This record gives sequence, C-alpha cells and structure tokens, in this order.
Amino acid sequence: MADSFHRVLSAAEVPPGTKKAVQVGDRCILICNSNQRLYAISNICTHAEKPLERGRMSATWIACPTHGARFDLATGKALNPPAVKPIATYEVRVVDEWIEVLIKEVAT
Amino acid sequence: MAGETIEAGKNTTPPKGETRCPGAPTTQEIIARDKVPAPAWVRSESYEFMGDQDIPTDRYIDPAYARKEFDTLWKKTWQFACREEHIPEVGDYYVYDIGPYSFIITRVAQNEIRAHYNACLHRGTKLRASGTVGNAEEFRCSFHGWCWNVDGSHKSTTCHWDFPHVDPKKFTLPQARVERLAGFVFINMDQAAPSLAEYLGPEALAHIQAWKLEDRYVYLHVSKRLPANWKLVIEAFMEAYHVIETHPQVAVSNGDANSQYDVYGDHVDRFISTLGVLSPHLYGKHTEQDILNQFTLGDSGALGSVQRTLSGGATAREVMAQMFRGMFEKATNTDLSKVSDSELLDCFSYTVFPNTFLFPGISLPMVYRFRPDRFDHRKCLYEVLFLRPVPLDGQRPAPAEPIELRDDQSFTEAAGMDQGFGVILDQDTDNLRLQQEGIEASAKRGLTLGNYQEIRVRHFERTVDQYLGQKS
Ligand code: FES
Ligand SMILES: [Fe+2]
Repeated sequence: MADSFHRVLSAAEVPPGTKKAVQVGDRCILICNSNQRLYAISNICTHAEKPLERGRMSATWIACPTHGARFDLATGKALNPPAVKPIATYEVRVVDEWIEVLIKEVAT
Repeated sequence: MAGETIEAGKNTTPPKGETRCPGAPTTQEIIARDKVPAPAWVRSESYEFMGDQDIPTDRYIDPAYARKEFDTLWKKTWQFACREEHIPEVGDYYVYDIGPYSFIITRVAQNEIRAHYNACLHRGTKLRASGTVGNAEEFRCSFHGWCWNVDGSHKSTTCHWDFPHVDPKKFTLPQARVERLAGFVFINMDQAAPSLAEYLGPEALAHIQAWKLEDRYVYLHVSKRLPANWKLVIEAFMEAYHVIETHPQVAVSNGDANSQYDVYGDHVDRFISTLGVLSPHLYGKHTEQDILNQFTLGDSGALGSVQRTLSGGATAREVMAQMFRGMFEKATNTDLSKVSDSELLDCFSYTVFPNTFLFPGISLPMVYRFRPDRFDHRKCLYEVLFLRPVPLDGQRPAPAEPIELRDDQSFTEAAGMDQGFGVILDQDTDNLRLQQEGIEASAKRGLTLGNYQEIRVRHFERTVDQYLGQKS
C-alpha cells in the first residue's frame, strides 16, 4: 500500500485549544489544535503506554496525565522524564473542511 | 582637601550613612518635578545605617556554608514558586525545586493551591520530574503505581493486601505552606514561620499590593545558570553603583549615583533608580538629546520603533514619559493615563528575601528569581520574567514558555529579549565570573561596602546571618 492521507475528523470537531483522539487502522492518533495550528501525534505515551488524550496541552507541548512526561507537538521529542523516546508525529492538512492525516506504510 | 579632614574627637562630618551624592538632585527631587505625580509608595524613604564592617567571604566560597543554607535558610523562608497563571485549572501543577527539595505546586480547587512534597510515600520516587508542568487527575507514581488525589490525600495502594500497616488516612502527601500574593505563589517549608504578610511587614506589603501585579502576565521568560554563588548574583543587581563602570551605555540616561536605597524589616529592600536623567558622573558631558537617544528598555518590543526627538526646551525625561505612556497603552491595549511618569520610566528594584526581585515599573517590568545550583555553590540558577499588563479586553494570554539558555550563550540570543537589555545582563555575567574567582583568590577575606549605595547588600547578608544563626 502507498502512503496516503486519511480523513479523520471534520475541522469543526477540534476547535482551538482542544484535542481529539481518532483510530486509523491500528494507530491511535491525537489531533491537537494548538497555537493556531493542527498537529497529529501518537496518542500513546512512550513511557508507560498510557493515552495522552486527557493531558495538558500548551502552545508547544502535551503532558502525559499519568506520569507527567511531555512531548513536543511538532517533533514528538520527549521533553522530560519519565519518557525518553519520542512519540510518532504525522503530517496533517485540512481539505474541504476535513482534517486529513498522512499515514506512511512502512515495510515490515 | 582640608575641609574633609576630621580632627580626632571632633564630630565635623555627618553621621555615617547620611551622606548623599554631592551636587546632584535626589531621586525624590527628580520625581517631584514630574507631570503625572507618583504614588505614596514611590515618594517615601526608609534608609537605615547598619554598620560598616566587612562582610566575611566564606559564605560565597565554602561548600559547607552552602549546605548549611539548604538546611536552614531555604527551609524557613517564603519563596516564589510559580505564578498563578502557570496553573490556571484544577489539577494543573508546576514542579518547584530548591536544592534537594522539590514540590508539586498544585491547584487542588479553583481557589486553593497546595505544595506537595514531590516524593512517593512508598519508596520515595519523585511523583513528577523536576522542572515540569502539566495537569493531573491523580498523582500516580511511575514505579509501583501508588496513587494520590490532586489534593494530596492517598487514593490507592497497589496490592493493598500486602500493606496492612499502611493506613491511607496517614498517607496524605506532606505539604509545605502556600500563600498567594499579587499573582505569585509563595511556599515555605517551615510550619512555624510567620505568615507571608508578617514576613514582608506592613509597609512592603502595601507597596506590593499597590502594584496589582496579579493583573499582569508573563510575556517572556528566560533562564540561565550564572557563574557565581547565588548571593553574589543577587547582590550584583542590588545597586546602581556599578552602572558607570559596568554599563557605561546606561549611565547616560540613568541617575545612578543619586539612586535611592531603602530597607523594610528583614526581608524586603529596594532601590529607585531614575531613568531619563544624566548620571551625576557625566554632568556637563551630554545633552538632553543624548539622554533621550540612550534610553534602554526592558520591554522595547512593546514600543516598536521610536522617534526620539526633543523640541522646545523639553527635558528628555518629560518627553520620554509622554511618549511611553502613549506607546505602551497602544501596544499593550491598556489604560495608563493615571500611571505616573516615575512608574513608567524608572527602575524600581525590590528584593523579597531570599529568591525574588520584583520590578513594578512599566518600562523595566521584570521579575527575577535566583536559586543556588544544587550541585555547585559557585553557580546560580537565574530567571528573568517580563510582565505585561493583561489587555483591556480581559483575555489573559498564556504565560510564556521558559527559554533555557546554555551557560555559554549570550542573553541576547533569547528570542524576544530586548538586545540592549541582553547586553546589560551579559555585562553583569562577565563581572560575576571574575568576582567569584577573585574572592577565592583574595588575601582579603571580607567585602567592604558603601554605607548608602550598598545598603541592600548589607541588609541581605544580615538576614542571611539571622537564618544561619550567626550574629552579624
Ligand atoms: S516508589 Fe512509588 S509506588 Fe513504589
Ligand atoms: Fe548590572
């Protein structure tokens, strides 16, 4: 399968300052509307594999509500312990009022 | 100079500490000429002579002294931990560290903030990493999953059957005391300490309350480790005496040698350093136009590009006050019509012992925080927060994320930092490195202080002595 954009939500479903989790195949992705832009990141913290969905979000990061690891929204980089590994980030765009996320198919 | 000679036994000079910069107007005289008059907290004086003995220097260079400070001074004093705006929602937390100690400053209800000791009551793991912020619905330990409610009460013990000796009611997270003032959250580890109001004293408290700093927000936050003991770093910002040598570019527009110094009780002191006037060191060497051209702002971003021209015999100070009032109003969408010229222009530097400086002015609207480096008594964690009035439309912007500079970076590299201000901080940093090393190298084991211009240094060290149980 080739890389492709997947429609996940209508843009109106993620107003500024909010986030919403979606499932794309076996991936759980968090769509974040922060600081006047959309981000698509993995919803699963790389530390204890808990969802990030209910975490606090700033202009640049999201904090895992379970143990407090923070990740950069743009790059996925882990910003503080207890996480070390980054979370996946996805390219995101809006087409016809729909949020679309790019899923890259990697050979396994 | 025959006139200054003292004959033995004859009291021909004024009492110690009463001499002021000769041939220059006082700070109060400068401010009294302003168009929009200054409030009472500006127009008062509270100097006190505290002796003229040297300050012993072991306090700056002895690691054992630094350890003792952690055990005494830092465990008994009110410290600025975070701004309320850092934790606006219930469950929001901010981890504040001082030396080995760490606290999760948590908003546990809309109008209640607690400071939990940041350590699991099982086997001690920090519940949140140092230097972090976030929101929690519960504090779950990352090791075995013991869990606390945000208010600190014990929520659950993993495999409770194995801990019949754990009474959940006795496993509430220990707390430091918390008080809030002017948008700042203060904590104190000492349950027997006086209230924050008592600690500050009525006069200093009234000053702080008058500023309404709760109506400002952090628009820029920069941190850097500075190369000297935390007390040397603090003391480098306590006087305008060093301006002429260290910051010659500032002196052209700063009443440095005729700045005013005041002390209030044990924990607060201040200076007022007028801006938009020539340094007494430079009288006769510059014009009013030079003064206008040289003015340095902490918040020049609020001004945009400024037309600096004088006309019709106006003074630089008058013109600047007028100009700033209009431009800051526009840039920050606030009403400054009743704010005095002095508050707009001058540098008001207040110390709240031990870790905070407040600058309530408009052109230099900073807060400083200083903390000793936990592992190196020769280093100080320094933060500068610039505050702006919350816009008239009432929408409070989120506080700026801290920009963490590396030790070797210039303050001018921080995005959003006024370049002139960054240069000033770099000049101070360069001195501090030399001062720390010089004190270690010196054959003289004491610092000699000026009676008036360095009174804040003496006042600060006197209070340090009180907490460390030494008489000074
Ligand atoms: S150390 Fe915290 S749960 Fe074991
Ligand atoms: Fe300085």
